Amino acid sequence: MGSMDNTVKRLLERLVRRIPSRMLKTTLDKWSRLTATQRQSIDYTESKWALTEKLLAICEENELTVKHIAELEMIYVIENPNLGMWHAFQLMDPQDDAHSVELTQFKEQFKSHLSELIRHVSIKIKKHTDEAVWIRIAWGDTFSRPNHLKPTYVVHYLQTPYVFLSSLTSKQKPLLSQALVLSTRYQAIKDANLSGRKLTAIRDLLMKQYLQVFPTKFPSPLAERNRVVSNLHIEKEQAGSAANRHQMACEAFGDGLLPQLQSAVYKLETKFRDHTNKTMTERDEPFRCVVKFASTNLLESLRHSASSGVASTPVTPLLSSVPLKGKNYFVITDNGPGPSSQMKPSQK
Amino acid sequence: MSLLKPFSKLPGLNTANILLVESEEQFQQSLADVLVEETSVTVNVRLAKSLPLPMENDESRPRIDLVVFIINLTSELSFQSAEASLKYLDPGYFLGKVCFMVTNARSASAPAERLDAVRKLAASLHCPLLFAENQTPDGVASATERLLTILKVAAGLVPIATALYMSNLTRCTLPLDIDQPSFD
Repeated sequence: MGSMDNTVKRLLERLVRRIPSRMLKTTLDKWSRLTATQRQSIDYTESKWALTEKLLAICEENELTVKHIAELEMIYVIENPNLGMWHAFQLMDPQDDAHSVELTQFKEQFKSHLSELIRHVSIKIKKHTDEAVWIRIAWGDTFSRPNHLKPTYVVHYLQTPYVFLSSLTSKQKPLLSQALVLSTRYQAIKDANLSGRKLTAIRDLLMKQYLQVFPTKFPSPLAERNRVVSNLHIEKEQAGSAANRHQMACEAFGDGLLPQLQSAVYKLETKFRDHTNKTMTERDEPFRCVVKFASTNLLESLRHSASSGVASTPVTPLLSSVPLKGKNYFVITDNGPGPSSQMKPSQK
Repeated sequence: MSLLKPFSKLPGLNTANILLVESEEQFQQSLADVLVEETSVTVNVRLAKSLPLPMENDESRPRIDLVVFIINLTSELSFQSAEASLKYLDPGYFLGKVCFMVTNARSASAPAERLDAVRKLAASLHCPLLFAENQTPDGVASATERLLTILKVAAGLVPIATALYMSNLTRCTLPLDIDQPSFD
């Protein structure tokens, strides 16, 4: 009883600290583990410390366990998924019945497979309104109880091969992969090389839920009607090439609001090439180098560099692969023989 | 090579035509919006990212009285683009019909060497060098006023004053210690 109380206390403390005051009321209301009287008795203008004490007292009153607090945490995380670091994974080689896996079957299978693989584990599965299945996993091992302070969150969209993970250690990865593969009826799972702080952004990018622009020979069929003239006395000399650049930039990256990616990383393992530097060029080993692009909205920045002419158009496949392949981590190697070979991004 | 020529077309009545060349295509739009509000003279503004200008527009383009190169001092690309565009102007323009305008001179990310390079360029071509503040409407308005003063002379709309005469007074000169290291 004593140690359990301690975990409840610690988890609740951390949670109250983490949830911004303005969201605390709505989150607690959604939780529905408190009676109406209890909810009304909470004064949200008090300090976080005072609120924690009050909530601890209520939880003891209701005999709530750490599992209930975990529920509360899950509610908060589902409503605010754009915190922490998410990594995308893709399930490979579906079996015949992979496409007909539905929620109940998946839930049962996942829980049973993961519990078989690891003795002490606490799993909570919840289906969100937008067809996403959320899983919270607290890991233990043969000797210790599940650690609720370092849970892993998994988001899977049924009938798609996409899985998004947050806070998973390398030890836990093979166990989770196994459980996922078995319960979704696929044969393997691989890293999709896409990560970011905003779950909604990497999901929208992978599932192409933003405005796509398709290549067309005649982008503006009603040029007379679509003309935007600010003033008859102002004329753009190079409007044609500007429109071309804009069209190509949108074809590569999309139109309108783009999913917010924070970075793109290119790991180069290519030979050094510079005729003026013989020492480096003569080396056999590849010149290892990592190039990182970072921005508050990387895709917007790339699209703008293309349409403003800073990045040459047509857009190089190195950049357009980010939205096209839904990846933001690339390993570039020299493909093909001879110095005249092009550098192609190779997926690893 | 298609050079832009200063006197190969007839002027319009009470009209002045200005060409703003800016690699970033930002400030030129705000300047254009204010320039066309001038009432005493009809001002036509042509906007370009760089020179040469497309040949398709040669026929319809009016006689350009003043060419302004807008350079953002925080961008090397901006400077290089302006420099590369110079060779597409007929030498006749450099007799008072070209002007340089720089922005962000006070920015910490504008290296002093770049401003010196622009100064040397403007001085060698005998052109005026204007400094503009492009973030506020007041800054845009005062930059526009100064451009209009030069534009009216370059278009021949000011009695007695000619572009060449004015450029003798307004052209950029180099301070004698430009090649000495600065105090910061």
